[in-house]
Amino acid sequence: MHRTHVSHRWWARVAGAALLMASAHVHAAEFSGQWRLTHQAIDTNPQGPLAAAHALRSDLIDLPAAGTSVVEAELQAHWRFLQANVLLTSTTPHGMATHTQAQVQELFANADAGDWQFSIGRKVVSWDVGYGFRPNDVVQQETRRTLLAVTPQGRPLLQAETFDADTATSIVWVNPQSHQDAPPTLSGDEAALAVRWYQRSGARDDHLFARWGQHTRASLGAAVAWVATDELELHASARWSQRHLTWQPTGTAPAENPWHIGMGGSATQWLVGAHWTGAQQQGLMVEWWHDGTAMADRDWDHWRQRNTALQQAAAQPGLPDALRSGLAGQLAWQTTPLGGSSLRRNNVFVRASWQYEAWQLAWDTLYMPADHGQIGTVSAQWQADQWRLTLAWRRLGGPQQALTSALPSRHTWLFAAVWAF
Amino acid sequence: MYSQHSHIGLALLACLTSAPWAHAADTVDSLLQAADRYRSGPGKLQVDTQVTVFNRDGSPDKERRYTVFVQEQQRSLVLMRSPAEHGQKVLMLGDDFWLLLPGSQRPVRITPSQKLLGDASTGDIATMSWSQDYGGTVVGEEPCGDTPGTCLRLSLQAQRKGVTYQHIELWIGKTRKEPVKADLYVQSEKLAKQAIFLMDNAKAPTQVTDMVLRDRLSNHKETRVRYVSRQTRAVPDAWLNPMFLARNPSLE
Repeated sequence: MHRTHVSHRWWARVAGAALLMASAHVHAAEFSGQWRLTHQAIDTNPQGPLAAAHALRSDLIDLPAAGTSVVEAELQAHWRFLQANVLLTSTTPHGMATHTQAQVQELFANADAGDWQFSIGRKVVSWDVGYGFRPNDVVQQETRRTLLAVTPQGRPLLQAETFDADTATSIVWVNPQSHQDAPPTLSGDEAALAVRWYQRSGARDDHLFARWGQHTRASLGAAVAWVATDELELHASARWSQRHLTWQPTGTAPAENPWHIGMGGSATQWLVGAHWTGAQQQGLMVEWWHDGTAMADRDWDHWRQRNTALQQAAAQPGLPDALRSGLAGQLAWQTTPLGGSSLRRNNVFVRASWQYEAWQLAWDTLYMPADHGQIGTVSAQWQADQWRLTLAWRRLGGPQQALTSALPSRHTWLFAAVWAF
Repeated sequence: MYSQHSHIGLALLACLTSAPWAHAADTVDSLLQAADRYRSGPGKLQVDTQVTVFNRDGSPDKERRYTVFVQEQQRSLVLMRSPAEHGQKVLMLGDDFWLLLPGSQRPVRITPSQKLLGDASTGDIATMSWSQDYGGTVVGEEPCGDTPGTCLRLSLQAQRKGVTYQHIELWIGKTRKEPVKADLYVQSEKLAKQAIFLMDNAKAPTQVTDMVLRDRLSNHKETRVRYVSRQTRAVPDAWLNPMFLARNPSLE
């Protein structure tokens, strides 16, 4: 954590210096940005381990804030070979103090040498062809299916690329400063060398990927996107990994979170999808994917059995306070593995959208066949010259045994007003 | 009677074949090339464009700015420059299209249907040439309409599937071959838009300064595409590689 704060301060200083340099040559620099005001409201889930923990010791275990208001200013500057993106955020959870922070989203320099182009700094490098899931997004590992699309924070990297008319090769050394012996909590945080080779073959794009991670070792992948007709695009992506990071219930101390990131064996991930767009700008996307890095069904069964055992223990009358606190903590920590990118290994995603003039309406649902859990989202967006307004509602549904029924929230509403300049 | 009609027909045919615009496809090509010179000029170009959309009542709806690199072999790179779209890029290589949304840094394949079919589609902005994409026939001479003078009417059919409009009825000035107006039809043969071309000098035109598009399919709005500047600009082949969209080279 200390390292992270130091790193953030360093990045902020470098960003400030870069922006000062750019402002000295403001006539030649390009500036842009946006103000964002968002308010997110949550209906907490009355079921699930966090609700049970809160019922047991409401003075120790908090439920998610009912609402959070965020004001953000995202500033982008491009001057000659330098690019910067800085995010200033002021967050006010309902009934709590306001928290402000400045964060460098991107700050990198570009250089050319013959046929090769180089980048160094913090940068977003996104790969792969899917929408709801991207197994070969091995550098950025961007969070998918967010309610509001914003620029993610780039990763520290060195990048070398070469292009001709139809092919491109990218070599990325990501997180070169990371030399931890212990596995990171997120696979994207480890030092890794990644390579992508691209070829355009008429109406088809072919991609090959390779990655060597400090802890996760080798992985190989391939992806294809093909425009089959004027209206239909098909895409597929697959990846094999020698190792993967996964949640494991390894802890035994009663006052510690038993869930830790551990190293799993080999895993496969794949996705197939189709995207149809009509002449009236109506769209339909269907994707089906398998994420072998998500917890297996039998592991979730063990997780559920542990939930039941903890709740049965907590239901016994006359428990001493210390034991009640311990059980409440253990129940709350049961939500830890629910934060992964995929809950279940097999997923089906459907998205329908329609754009009419300044309006875009969208509906999507993520369905997990293993337990019939569903995450549905409805959104409406209005885009004017500089203003963009978004209203979105997400509902976590499914039967009581579904993992979606154990998540801390049930409904999420989001309103966002964005002013671009 | 039959014989008289046959003679009249033969005479008409002789007139038609002897008319300067009634030769084979070469004539249509040369007419289109002449008309293209008022829009794009020769060679590789950087075109800065301002697009203003007006509501039915004439009030301004929105304004957009684009920089378009038009290269040979139907290759165009469109950079969105307005605050609302800043960072978006569209690459058009013949019938193949890619889109880069700001923030994602991930170029994605899009279908021809996903090209902007709004008030001014990407094709309206990025396509500066008819002669490379269309063939057809000369229908005949007609009054130009609101513009005084006589026009040649050309009926054009797309010669590749990736163009925005599959069929165009184009009117060009009989004397100088400058584009005057056009009816633009989508694949379903529905009239999508009507275009009017405004020249820099009515008496001695050298280039199109504005293209006014009237929507006839959905919202009936009017879109004015203003060509703010044109300059010769050849971009490196690497800029036209879809994966290069994620890079952001200085345009100076």
